[in-house]
Amino acid sequence: MQSRGKVLMVDDDISIRHALHHTLERIGFEVDDAATGEEALELVRETRYDVLLLDINMPGMGGIRACSEIRKSFPRLGILMLTVRDSEEDKVAALDAGADDYITKPFQIRELAARIRAAVRRSWVAPAEPNAVIGIGNIELDPARRLVRKAGDPVHLTPKEFDLLHCLMAHAGLPMMHARLLREVWGPEYGGELEYLRTFIRQLRKKIEENPSMPVYLLTDSHIGYRFREAKAEPVEENI
Amino acid sequence: MTFCAFRLHLNLSTSGSLYFLIVVMVSVVWGFGEASVTSLAAVNCLNYFFVPPVLTWRVSDPQNWVALATFEITALTVSRLSTRVQSQARAEARQRREIEKLYELSRRILFLDRHRAIGPQVLVLIEQVFRTESAALFDAAEGRLDGVGSRAKDLEPLARAAYLRDSMLEGETAFTWANVLRVGLKPVGAIALRCPELGRLTLASIASLTAIALERARSFETESRAEAARETEQLRTAVLDSLAHAFKTPLTAIQTASSGLLEAGRLSGEDLEMAALIEQRAEHLDRLTTELLQMAKIDAAEVRLRRERIPVLTLIEEVVEGHREQLRGRSVTLPDTASRLEVWGDREILSTALEQFIDNAAKYSPPGSAISVSAEEKLGEIVIAVHNDGPPIETADRERVFERFYRAEESRHRAPGTGLGLSIAKKAAEAHGGRTWVVSDEIRGTTFFFALPRGISKEAS
Repeated sequence: MQSRGKVLMVDDDISIRHALHHTLERIGFEVDDAATGEEALELVRETRYDVLLLDINMPGMGGIRACSEIRKSFPRLGILMLTVRDSEEDKVAALDAGADDYITKPFQIRELAARIRAAVRRSWVAPAEPNAVIGIGNIELDPARRLVRKAGDPVHLTPKEFDLLHCLMAHAGLPMMHARLLREVWGPEYGGELEYLRTFIRQLRKKIEENPSMPVYLLTDSHIGYRFREAKAEPVEENI
Repeated sequence: MTFCAFRLHLNLSTSGSLYFLIVVMVSVVWGFGEASVTSLAAVNCLNYFFVPPVLTWRVSDPQNWVALATFEITALTVSRLSTRVQSQARAEARQRREIEKLYELSRRILFLDRHRAIGPQVLVLIEQVFRTESAALFDAAEGRLDGVGSRAKDLEPLARAAYLRDSMLEGETAFTWANVLRVGLKPVGAIALRCPELGRLTLASIASLTAIALERARSFETESRAEAARETEQLRTAVLDSLAHAFKTPLTAIQTASSGLLEAGRLSGEDLEMAALIEQRAEHLDRLTTELLQMAKIDAAEVRLRRERIPVLTLIEEVVEGHREQLRGRSVTLPDTASRLEVWGDREILSTALEQFIDNAAKYSPPGSAISVSAEEKLGEIVIAVHNDGPPIETADRERVFERFYRAEESRHRAPGTGLGLSIAKKAAEAHGGRTWVVSDEIRGTTFFFALPRGISKEAS
């Protein structure tokens, strides 16, 4: 079976490492594992990985510090943090430390596999041509012509709505924190205007979603930010 | 002296000087009254023994009258002055002593035992330092009266009266005083003392020091109570975090292993069923753990909610979206997007509460049926309602569905659940000073309500 990517899994609990190691291998990933952040730091220097699964709560240097250390040397490595507490502080800290995404334990293996795939893609794909057309589901965004189509029909967006959608689609599958979206779309002096952002998201949903109260593209990461649905959300089974 | 001087045949001026010396000494030792009497006696002696003709009361030379008068006036003036200097020195010494005592009192007040009642300790200190006969203290905030000394009982009404009249009072028996205790301008109690020696100023100072001691003890107590609450909260959070870790780590391993078995697709027949059963029950256990931890978290949060201003619409949108999978295929009606309602509450806890309502609506209504969520301001409350078309809840069950682990008889078999969800919602509402209830009948379906007081949201501004 062709490898779907090389994963380094870092968790201090041996039973989780064991179960995850086998499961991920069966799904088609190449897997190495480490028990501490220190160990992970050494391994990423020796081997080229596509994705790092990093537990937040570990003895020693801990996941958050390991993440920011590794991020400094490997800007393109996909980093996915695992957390036990469903707390936004942990998630925000993880994203601030440079993680691409997070997932709460215990997780569904499909969800984890999907997140890993999104991260692998991010690490494999060369930095996208800034003007390349992005197509996800039936939504197509053409940055050069500032045009958005839904199932082939043009959608009229205001300039800010377009920039916001562009920013989200360019990072499809990954969480974008409120403050980051505000800064990237409105400018560096923004960051705390959550209601402002929510209003724009509502407008965008009205224009691109079939049912704006049950969005399938423009998703909320509660208390953290928003994420656009990942480019290829194929079910795991199809690929086994 | 008269005899010696007479025998020695001293003249008038010499013996006058000697008498003068005696008068001054008397005034120094005994005071002005005694010195006056002595000076009159001295004038008589001088007249009888030394003014010619001697041994008679007569005075032949008028100049001697002048001498005697001058003697008397000078003796009186000098003894007056010396007595005054004396008494001033005595007053100063007393004041100095009292200041020293006040200083000692203030110093020892700093070392009072904070874990015992302060009133009796202050009184004992005052008794030791000022040697008061009796003392009584009325602490208005605590409503307690303390006394030391044999006649403390008599002083207690006086202390109470001083507090009620908000002034310094003198008692009916001698040397009894009472003064109101003030912190700033506010009267906080009164102290009554029986002590012969104390000046008014000292009494006022004792009252001030006592007031400070009481206030200091009170603020220490408030502070340590707040500190204890903070520590309890930290401890609870730490315990909950480690519990979460302790439960969720093995659950993650079980779930990963079982879903790994299923995803690998190599199992069939009973093996597949068993792996599915393991996964299903592990998920149930995970849900139960999450809800128990949420419940404990809300219990802990009663100590301190992390309140912020939350737009109700955003709260509802996020929760509904979070249940996207569960609500797939249903029509969900949300409040109008123009809604500007806000609540002042703990976002995490309110989200948890609303999640229980949405989860409940999805579980107990026919698949595909509509769910609607509304929010409005009504009679000073923000009311969020979640409606579903599920079967009615029996009247007897309507209160009980909010109880921990209670599940209505027929629902036990119908829907998966832990029996904690609605009790979490109730607890969350109550932690915010709000309430929950349910309205349910055959025709209109079932609506769960969550109300929070509107007034509190104003605190945000």
